[in-house]
Amino acid sequence: MSIRIAVIQFPGSNCDRDATHILNNVIGIQADLIWHTNFKERKYDGCILPGGFSFGDYLRGGIIAAHSPAVKEAEIMIKDGRPVLGICNGFQILTEAEFLPGALLRNDTLKFECRWVHLRVENNETAFSNQMKKNEIIDIPIAHSEGRYFHDNLKELYDNDQIVFKYVSKKGLLNEESNPNGSFDNIAGVCNLERNCVGLMPHPERASEEILNPFKNAHGIKLFKSMVNFIKSRI
Amino acid sequence: MPIVGNERDTVEVALTEREIERIKSILGRDPYITEWGMFDVMGSEHCSYKSSRPKLKLFEPAEENYDYVLAGPGQDAGVVDIGDDYCIAFRIESHNHPSAIEPYHGAATGIGGIIRDILCMGMFPIALLDPLRFGRLKNNSHSQWLLKYVVKGIADYGNCTGIPTIGGEVEFDHSFENNCLVNVACIGVGKVEDFTPSRASKPGDYAVLMGNSTGRDGIHGVTFASRTLTEQSESDRPAVQIGDPFSKKLIIEATIEAVKTGYVRGLKDLGGGGLSCASSELTGDGGTGIEFDVNKIFTREPNMTPFEIMLSESQERMMFIVKAEGLETILEIFKKYETPYAVLGKINDSKLLRITDADNMVVELDPTLLSDFPAIIREEKRPDFLDDLINQKTPERSLKFDEIIYRLIASENICSKEWIYRQYDHEVGVRSVVKCGDGDSGVLRIIGTNKYISASAGCNSKHCFLDPYEGAKGAVVEIGCNIISNGLKPIAMVNCCNFGNPEKPTSFWYFSECVKGMADSIKFLNIPCVGGNVSFYNEDEVLQKVIKPTPIIMLLGYIEGQENIITLPFKKSGNPIFLIGETKNELGGSEYHSVIYNIEGGTPPKVNLDFAKRTWDFLLDVNKKGYIKSIHDVNKGGFLITILEMSFPNELGADLNLYDCFDKDLTSEQIVFSESVGRFIIEVDADKIKEFIVLIKKYKLYFKEIGVITEEKQIMIKGLEENFNLDIMKAKNLFNSTLPRIMEGDM
Repeated sequence: MSIRIAVIQFPGSNCDRDATHILNNVIGIQADLIWHTNFKERKYDGCILPGGFSFGDYLRGGIIAAHSPAVKEAEIMIKDGRPVLGICNGFQILTEAEFLPGALLRNDTLKFECRWVHLRVENNETAFSNQMKKNEIIDIPIAHSEGRYFHDNLKELYDNDQIVFKYVSKKGLLNEESNPNGSFDNIAGVCNLERNCVGLMPHPERASEEILNPFKNAHGIKLFKSMVNFIKSRI
Repeated sequence: MPIVGNERDTVEVALTEREIERIKSILGRDPYITEWGMFDVMGSEHCSYKSSRPKLKLFEPAEENYDYVLAGPGQDAGVVDIGDDYCIAFRIESHNHPSAIEPYHGAATGIGGIIRDILCMGMFPIALLDPLRFGRLKNNSHSQWLLKYVVKGIADYGNCTGIPTIGGEVEFDHSFENNCLVNVACIGVGKVEDFTPSRASKPGDYAVLMGNSTGRDGIHGVTFASRTLTEQSESDRPAVQIGDPFSKKLIIEATIEAVKTGYVRGLKDLGGGGLSCASSELTGDGGTGIEFDVNKIFTREPNMTPFEIMLSESQERMMFIVKAEGLETILEIFKKYETPYAVLGKINDSKLLRITDADNMVVELDPTLLSDFPAIIREEKRPDFLDDLINQKTPERSLKFDEIIYRLIASENICSKEWIYRQYDHEVGVRSVVKCGDGDSGVLRIIGTNKYISASAGCNSKHCFLDPYEGAKGAVVEIGCNIISNGLKPIAMVNCCNFGNPEKPTSFWYFSECVKGMADSIKFLNIPCVGGNVSFYNEDEVLQKVIKPTPIIMLLGYIEGQENIITLPFKKSGNPIFLIGETKNELGGSEYHSVIYNIEGGTPPKVNLDFAKRTWDFLLDVNKKGYIKSIHDVNKGGFLITILEMSFPNELGADLNLYDCFDKDLTSEQIVFSESVGRFIIEVDADKIKEFIVLIKKYKLYFKEIGVITEEKQIMIKGLEENFNLDIMKAKNLFNSTLPRIMEGDM
């Protein structure tokens, strides 16, 4: 069976080609770059909202794109169980559209932060983490200025097991130094109740090839492989 | 400044009486008021290069001498062919004056402008680099303010447009206190068939203006940039444009999509000089003409005069020359991206630029009159103070070596610049193979090929101040060494010349000597100069300060094969360390002199080009064989600083025995702190020493095995006046904490 993924291009998206490159050339599945007003969900098995500055991040990161027709199409996909991933600005869009819980605030450093961090897998039963082990450490970079995860009822997130990734040290320790942006409880990525929609601030597409990775691994690719596995398991 | 015009309107122009008379006699009439404005802008130093042109002739014509150069000086960007139908465009320019009075928007619009220069060659922008100069930072709130907002301006604009900032360089020196330097460089990639010249060569094509609306911002930006900074400069703030990176991102996408259709015959960005510059250069260079009505141009506010419209430097605008049969297709693309546009009119063969305002003629002249201003021959004179400065002696050393090195590693010019590059997205685009901090240059892969490019930019302003000819040569060699250090070969150069007032003979002498130095070195090293930018008038009249001469060199590197790429950190204990290159008594302009004694003089480095060339050839050769494991070129602070920087990432130490490694006449401090150019520290694979030595002897190079890498977290130095140890963790902490402490703390 041939899998087909849509990578949505909002005005101002800038990691759209990067995600498409990984899916097409590294994973080897068909990924189409689609302008946000042209996107129709019917043809696709999954969808990625890429990083960037959709609509210039004017007003607030992700809020204008959350009202794009593409997001309405993505909602249909989420509702019928197909995988939808939001990376960085895509994560902001998914929280603004209220498909994912919480909000992303300005970094506590008050600056844009571009650096490699380490994630610990908290939930490996989602559409984008099923090829990882629980508590596995993932090397991956961040690049954002509004990535401080906030939720006013963290207990609910824990009760529903919606936290997918947390920032930790290289050795897996959960501490303040390994939190790059002041996120609540070091949260880097979350999922919806159904586990088919995931959002995270770090960039798996930048960590999917050894040549780009200072730790000489390709941990990021596991997110995309999880998606492929999830799609195959649904059939 | 003279006032020109007629009974109804007058305008003050920065033209000389001779230039005014020449314009009148060629036209055979008094220019219209809009024409006066256009002559004023196009005659500014910034647009006309009237002072610098006679000197820039020293650079060989790049397109004629190098078959891989597709576009050279005079185009918006240099373009080189890297094989298999791929080409690379790159350019550097300055945005000094706007940044000095409004650092955030000044720097941001600098980035915006340089991106457009790449884009208008039809190339997709993939990297930015930013060489910067400020006054000393510590306890200097003005310099800290400038640095903070210049970095933020670059970050906000670059990050939003999705172009990674892969490198840069910064120096802090009192001469840049008020007149900071913000140089911005951009690299683009594309297919050879996408290469679009900035020319309207065919009558019948349409001229289409696309992008943001035209407003009253930035009127006379280039004339403002072509004079010195004074107390009144604050009031020139309206001459600084405001950037809009979101619009720019849409313009990039729309432009690339348009270029890919094959319907775009010419392309030009609207930067300095706005519509005046774009319309006259497109038709002037193409040998054509155009007629349009200014009312077709969509403006940001009502009642703008033709004068204002033609001179506005509003950001984020492009002029497309579109083949008639493709007009509809191109306009559909602009609609998709919701970028406003206006079809101005058709290109004709009249060789005239005719602009009307409804029924009134406001401009009617030969466009080449605007783009070909006569050159001015400037006087040059070596400053009298230089001899005393060069004869300055190194004061007697009172500190121990380890103490001096700890001070140097923590000094503003040597410390880690991580505080800056963390704010830049340096990875977007998934091309960044060697990232900020991992090497002397930024290395990018060209996706879909086995090709790698790299870039580095900078110069040593202190060396150039003492000896501009040797300093400029040193800059070419030092930047080349940065490229070589990552395993790539320098293939083309662009430069950005930052100097004082060219009307002053000493300032012009510095420019002239630097150009000679650059031209001689690249000729010897077989590197074409494919573009450049000259920024004069970098003087602060309030403090009576001229900036130190700053001929920023940017080199593009190229190599095929990932296996050739090499990085800076020490890899393995037990591997021997070699120093390649001659260490001479050259402490003039060194960080040692400036940080420890606060003096600027002494004997500055002289450059041996023949030696540099052989070293590069050797390194490219030996690297292919895989004998070397890490490499870093020796720069500010001397070779022990280089070794420390290599030891930090993997926290590996070194055991050094320097006995008998250097010229007997050198003192220990000259050995350690000299900044002689063209040297490298190299880690050689312990199993390949013999082969390495056989090969290096063939190239007849100066080299010494100076020690070995160890697991200890210290550098142990023997064989100098005194033995001493350097604690790597202490040095690393000093190296990393300086900028955060100054910028986030209260220093």
